[in-house]
Amino acid sequence: MTSPDIHALGGAYALDAVDDLERVAFDRHLRECETCALEVAEYRETVTRLADGTWSVPPPRMREQVLARAAATPQLPPNGRRRDAPSPVARWRRLTAAAAVVGVLGIGAAATTYTVQEQRLGEERAAVAQAQQRADRIQAVLAAPDAALHAGDLTGGGRVSVVVSDSEDAGVVVLADAPPPGPDRAYQLWLVPEGSVTPVSAGVLPAGRAEATQLIDGVRGRAAFAVSLEPAGGSPQPSTTPLVGISLV
Amino acid sequence: MTEPDRGPRGFERAPADPRPERSEIDALLRAVARGDDAAFARLYDLLSPRVFGLARRVLRDPAQAEEMAQEVLVEVWRTASRFDTERGSGLSWVLTIAHRRTVDRVRSEQASTDRMHRVAAASAEVPYDEVADQVGTRLERQQVRRCLDGLTPLQKEAITLAYYGGHTYREVATLLGAALPTIKTRMRDGLIRLRDCLSVEVTP
Repeated sequence: MTSPDIHALGGAYALDAVDDLERVAFDRHLRECETCALEVAEYRETVTRLADGTWSVPPPRMREQVLARAAATPQLPPNGRRRDAPSPVARWRRLTAAAAVVGVLGIGAAATTYTVQEQRLGEERAAVAQAQQRADRIQAVLAAPDAALHAGDLTGGGRVSVVVSDSEDAGVVVLADAPPPGPDRAYQLWLVPEGSVTPVSAGVLPAGRAEATQLIDGVRGRAAFAVSLEPAGGSPQPSTTPLVGISLV
Repeated sequence: MTEPDRGPRGFERAPADPRPERSEIDALLRAVARGDDAAFARLYDLLSPRVFGLARRVLRDPAQAEEMAQEVLVEVWRTASRFDTERGSGLSWVLTIAHRRTVDRVRSEQASTDRMHRVAAASAEVPYDEVADQVGTRLERQQVRRCLDGLTPLQKEAITLAYYGGHTYREVATLLGAALPTIKTRMRDGLIRLRDCLSVEVTP
């Protein structure tokens, strides 16, 4: 999964000015390119200096709260992997948590998931447990050795990125910057089997929603991915011209 | 810190980073990775103003910044074992976590479309110079300011909009009315210039 201009993304990457999937792609790139990793480490060190002037003393109560929360938080054991970018674990967890809670708690709940153990128990726990399963699946797709990134722009605005893994037989779709479809319309995802012209539904977003990170199953043997605008709840077959079609082969 | 001379905006190398606590932060992180509470308390005292200040700058809301800073500092405790000195300083490691999380918060809280519209509308009213000026006047570190001033206007705007504004390079391109490849390149070239001006090195 390399694109000709991935190298040029190093500055934007170090500035956290890339989207989640570009980050995934670039992280993979860094694992394969030692000089790039060193270069980016220097960019990061440089970027850090931009924070020099933002120094600000937090409220005194924060100290006790942070120390108490830390005391109640188990630490990660050292892992054998070296050459990791700073805190990829945190990033993965946020990405996958954010992805999995879409439609359950909403994207904004990613941070909540993080502190759920100490702050929000009860009914959210069930939702989070369910979300965690999806998060694990999503993480498996993104981490798969054969994961491949495809992306395209939607007619009328917006962008969709798809990471597919044959070995996991699943994909992760991220829809961003698309116009809201209205309360009675929904974006629907499609997969087109190889040698066929008949799309198969790969899921429908909730009505009105224009942003999503969605897990799709059954990507093996699929030649293309598409998105169309449908009535709320979706259609058995696309009833409108697809807004984007992306070849997966 | 002595006042640097205000000579022409050249690219002469500024003095090496004077902050003495850098190696101390690295050592403290290694101690924290072993579960050392006292080391974490000391690390808190060194880092909390930086983490809180950065979050506050990007989020522009003290209450949200406090919440974010707490989250980041607890995350530092939790993941300290993953800090790798070969990949840069401890300070950079911590501030990278802080910046990413803060930027994630900014992006997840606002639908991107709304945000882009708002930003685009605001950009029509607020000249970019003002953004850059705010950045400039608030930078306590003369060295960083001087090095930023040595960038081309587009490099400087692209970098400051991304870092302090939390914008993606796509958003930055829209804001500045520039092509995507141009912005990507300016960000990278700008960081290279900054790196050289600040004498940043990472020794593997």
